[in-house]
Amino acid sequence: MLPTRPVARNVTLGEVMLSPYGLDIIESCLTCKMRAERLFCDLPTSALQSFESIKYATAYPKGAVLFVEGQAPRGIFVLCKGRVKLSICATDGKTLILKIAEPGEVLGLSATVSGKPYELTAETIDPCQVNFVKREDFLRFLREHSDACFKVAEQLSEKYNNACHEVRSLGLSHSAGEKLAKLLLEWSSKNGEANKQEPRLKLALTHEEIAQMIGTSRETVTRLFADFKKRQIVQAKGSTLVIRNKVALKALATNN
Amino acid sequence: MTRITVLFCAEDYLADMESAIQQSCLTCALRPDRLFCDLPTSALTVFNEVKSNLVCPRNTVLFREGQPARGVFVLCEGRAKISVCSESGKRLTLRIAVPGEVLGLSAALSGSPYEVTAELLDNARVAMVKRKDLLSFLREHREACLHVVTLLSQDLHIAYDRVRSVGLGRSRRARSARAS
Repeated sequence: MLPTRPVARNVTLGEVMLSPYGLDIIESCLTCKMRAERLFCDLPTSALQSFESIKYATAYPKGAVLFVEGQAPRGIFVLCKGRVKLSICATDGKTLILKIAEPGEVLGLSATVSGKPYELTAETIDPCQVNFVKREDFLRFLREHSDACFKVAEQLSEKYNNACHEVRSLGLSHSAGEKLAKLLLEWSSKNGEANKQEPRLKLALTHEEIAQMIGTSRETVTRLFADFKKRQIVQAKGSTLVIRNKVALKALATNN
Repeated sequence: MTRITVLFCAEDYLADMESAIQQSCLTCALRPDRLFCDLPTSALTVFNEVKSNLVCPRNTVLFREGQPARGVFVLCEGRAKISVCSESGKRLTLRIAVPGEVLGLSAALSGSPYEVTAELLDNARVAMVKRKDLLSFLREHREACLHVVTLLSQDLHIAYDRVRSVGLGRSRRARSARAS
């Protein structure tokens, strides 16, 4: 179930070693160049040294499951490289993707803090580097380092905002078209393309996965894209999608 | 010094509420049962200084979704409805908050606008702490920060449950019926 490949930890600080998945593993958080840009990782040196001693740097291939909804919480997973799909599942197997987690996010946080089972399933969609910390080590780390505790609170706040947004979008949207229009506008704003006349976005997900993000079927997503293209609202150029008519897409998103 | 503000009302309940108002967290008998409030005396003394006591009648809206986060509201007495709203005004209840809960926490911490609306279901007593005061309080008091992390984790669990029930649990017709 968990095709983990723990990377040897006794490596000189700062040394970069190659993993089986073609990833440049950053072995030490202390020398990580990306640290300053990441909400959780930007910690004072004392906290970082303490974190360094309890974390396990691990590499995963694409398609690996980090944890499954309902599992007892083992600990947290700090996503260093790659992307992870976070989803929930119904008893009939229907899946809903909540979010595609980006590097810098801490996964399994609320379950690890509360001791309740993981409420989501986390599956890698790229080869990933993940720093794993056991639950008891993490809780002790939080008690000892107030800066880290504050950053965890900030991460949880962001996740809560995201969950509320998801409830709003799933529970209050009228149609699948409205939800898809909202999703495309959201992606374009994340890429910094929102102010452009014709924003472009890279479609990194399949129609099936997009369907799981908006709670509809693959067929509906394919039909909606065909409809949007026919109405000249969007245009596909390979895996890049160009929003040709932003006003029409916004009108669809607000159900006008 | 603790401030007491009465948001609105000249009704009979006000006199009762004012006489019963718990001015100090230090002498609150309910404190040990409440996750956020069960703090060491040093932290509680500081919290007592930065909070404002509010007495609010039912149906008062503590904050609306989209408003800039002014601070947090600790629900001392009474319940509040936490809901989200669509552009067209359709409303969906996320949960009912009970005494002891801290409302507006995630917005106050992240600095983003309130992501939900909190409306009182009962006549209530609320302790309000401004965002700036809360952030410095949490930075100075590790125990309080740990309590906040636990509270946020619980809120998140409830929110994910809601996502599950809204997104996977029911047919569209049943969901529409629930949204008022």
